[in-house]
Amino acid sequence: MDLIKPLQSLKVRIMLIKVCGLSEESEITELANSGIDMLGFIFHKASRRNLNYDEAKGAFIRNLACEKVGVFVNEEFDYILQTGFYFSLTHVQLHGNESPGMVQALSRYFKVIKAFSIHSKFDFRVCDLYPSADLLLFDTKGDLAGGNGTQFDWKLLDSYQGDIPFLLSGGIGKNDVKAIKEMNHPFFEGIDVNSKFEIEPSRKNIPEIKTFMEELNKSISKTRKGYYGEFGGAYIPELLYNPVQELETAFERIKTNEEFKSKFKHLLRDYVGRPTPLYFSNKLSEKHDATIFLKREDLNHTGAHKINNTIGQILLAKEMGKTNIIAETGAGQHGVATATVCALMGLDCTVFMGTVDMERQKPNVQRMKMLGAKVVPAESGSKTLKDATNEAIRYWINNPSTFYVIGSVVGPHPYPEMVAHFQSVISEEMRFQLQEKTQKMNPDIIVACVGGGSNAAGAFYHYLEEDAVALYCVEAAGLGIDSGKSAATSHLGTVGIIHGSKSLVMQTDNGQIIEPHSISAGLDYPGIGPLHAHLIKSGRAKSIAVTDAEAIKAGLDLTRIEGIIPALESAHALAALDKIELKNKTVVVNLSGRGDKDLETYLTKLNLAENEIE
Amino acid sequence: MKLNKKNNCSIFLTAGYPQLNSAPKLVEELENAGIDFIELGIPFSDPLADGPVIQETSTIALNNGMTIDVLFEQVAEIKMNSALPIVLMGYFNPIYTYGVEKFLKQCKALGVDGLIIPDLEIDIYEFEYKALFETYDIPLIFLITTATPVDRIRRVEKMSKAFIYLVSSSATTGAKASFSKGQIQAFERIKALNLKVPIMVGFGIHNNETYRTVCNLFDGAIIGTAYLKSIANKVSTKAFVADIIG
Repeated sequence: MDLIKPLQSLKVRIMLIKVCGLSEESEITELANSGIDMLGFIFHKASRRNLNYDEAKGAFIRNLACEKVGVFVNEEFDYILQTGFYFSLTHVQLHGNESPGMVQALSRYFKVIKAFSIHSKFDFRVCDLYPSADLLLFDTKGDLAGGNGTQFDWKLLDSYQGDIPFLLSGGIGKNDVKAIKEMNHPFFEGIDVNSKFEIEPSRKNIPEIKTFMEELNKSISKTRKGYYGEFGGAYIPELLYNPVQELETAFERIKTNEEFKSKFKHLLRDYVGRPTPLYFSNKLSEKHDATIFLKREDLNHTGAHKINNTIGQILLAKEMGKTNIIAETGAGQHGVATATVCALMGLDCTVFMGTVDMERQKPNVQRMKMLGAKVVPAESGSKTLKDATNEAIRYWINNPSTFYVIGSVVGPHPYPEMVAHFQSVISEEMRFQLQEKTQKMNPDIIVACVGGGSNAAGAFYHYLEEDAVALYCVEAAGLGIDSGKSAATSHLGTVGIIHGSKSLVMQTDNGQIIEPHSISAGLDYPGIGPLHAHLIKSGRAKSIAVTDAEAIKAGLDLTRIEGIIPALESAHALAALDKIELKNKTVVVNLSGRGDKDLETYLTKLNLAENEIE
Repeated sequence: MKLNKKNNCSIFLTAGYPQLNSAPKLVEELENAGIDFIELGIPFSDPLADGPVIQETSTIALNNGMTIDVLFEQVAEIKMNSALPIVLMGYFNPIYTYGVEKFLKQCKALGVDGLIIPDLEIDIYEFEYKALFETYDIPLIFLITTATPVDRIRRVEKMSKAFIYLVSSSATTGAKASFSKGQIQAFERIKALNLKVPIMVGFGIHNNETYRTVCNLFDGAIIGTAYLKSIANKVSTKAFVADIIG
């Protein structure tokens, strides 16, 4: 079982596109204006695309403001240097048997792309000899040096273990969009196209290149780093630039690292108790005339899904040599999960929590303290999750060597991706569990509550591309969507920036964040993860709002019919079952956490109800 | 925007604090006290890079009814009576919600001299907004810290048209201490880059000593928290500025 799989359709990277073998000025201008990242010029007399130039063309190319790559095959150092200066190239691409010394010497003047011709016996360790290259380019081995217009087997790239990013080249055409989209090598940086988009050698078919770019952009929802459609990004003050950069680099490294994966997997199994059961609820199924399963995240150690993510992030913190951990918490589940893993790994832990939440989730405050964490009350604003997050970010600014464990799929890139990545174990398990129980990997419907949206991200993750699986985000409507006391962000929110990413945000007409309300501390948040904003806006997921009262009732109902006390957050997901057409469908409700922390709230409501009856 | 050769002193104040209409009067006082330019803060509900004092003044300003439109009215009033350069400083969300282009257009019409948007990160600015800022010819003032990588500082240098805002230390606003030896050394490293754009230092400038230190190395200093505190403590602007400049 592969517990960590990169998110295919929502790849987090800039897809770099280089068009090579250019010559015509009008084409060059048009490409430069259409967002192509690199323009390539070939300086190789044997090539049909060798750049024939005069002084005017030299001046034209010199004046281009984009990235300009000169392609050379086994030329002398001086010639490359002179040509590079003449055209003011930003990059030189070496396509022959140039030595590592040559690459190093040229790297003092230009960014260097070293090209390799790949074949089934190619030994990728050769690439390690070129540490001064900025980029590698993997092309097909053929008769001609410098590109043959044919493709090699891209699976061979699995053996590339180096850490210099690479471009994929060789016969890439308009039918390769799907294959490019499926490339999930961590150092895959972009593609290089040439002959498949030509009318004749060095005359490019510009409309076709543009269509191809659009197709690529369409299928890869994030062409910009850290974006889901229009949402995401890293809107951070400069003070956080280095810490976020450092985190991103470290996360990229461990994402596919076998040793890391194995440590993570073992802790999830032996410490957390995974896989969590997929429980068939007879009573709910009968009630709704459907097949309803509960994914029992409440049975994880510490009582919620949150620990999947804290194990992942704190393992990463260890790898990075961090000793101080901070976290924000709403319901306290993320705080407890962070404090727990810090206790396990011997790290200092500080948790920020709104004073309102400290009051309503007292048992979790006590647990955190018992685990040795320091709980810092957040007194500003609404004194809930939003404010706890503000305080954690401020602490991080003041203590940049700290590791900030964000508990949801919110915050600046790479957090949303990283948290979704660690939580994806939920849907990974659902697939084989459903296969076992229903002989089908896919349910018809998945229902999960969304505050920031980490349990939903985990439950949806492996089904994002399965369009037949309907995804439901359940938000907290508080006293009612339009009551002014609500946290139903996707219903009430507009596009804005919150906690470092662009998403849907509950805000006034003047761009001030509105203080939300929900009986559930974990859903009491005026934003939503950028992934969910994208899923909802694009129509891939639907969003449903559930009021405090509906959630309480659904929670109490489950307690009485199944003997499971759900967290108030998860009770929102359960309440949504009444609002979805379920007849004859296979449904999974992600039961994200257990309700021990909410007993006081439940009992108060229960007593009220019973008193009314009397 | 023109700066003096040295010893530029800039004051930050939260627009709408202590009263909704305080800014024009405070600016006049500051001009009379010899301040070189003003930073007017657009209050935001969730100011991530700010310490407790600016959080508090922002909350009060919002409760007083401060909005971007009200602020623009006040800027118009200030500009009628004063030649002091005005830089607006605000978090990105209110500006984004107002409409970036509409905002820039207004700034241009009112003669705003620059903008500081601490959470509009450089890459995002370059990718999405640079062209718009250039169309309206409004300089964006970037923040750097002593830990910002040199190549990034060079990028900032190229994109900067007014000055660069050097954040004195890794901290939210309002830190109160003298500069450590390490900080001074870090300042000297930045100084040695010989940037072609003036550098103003902010965050943690709160007395004559800290003011002098940064003025000796760079083009001037920006004072925020200390001034807002002095307002709360009913210290006169004149006395406050005299104390800092010395």
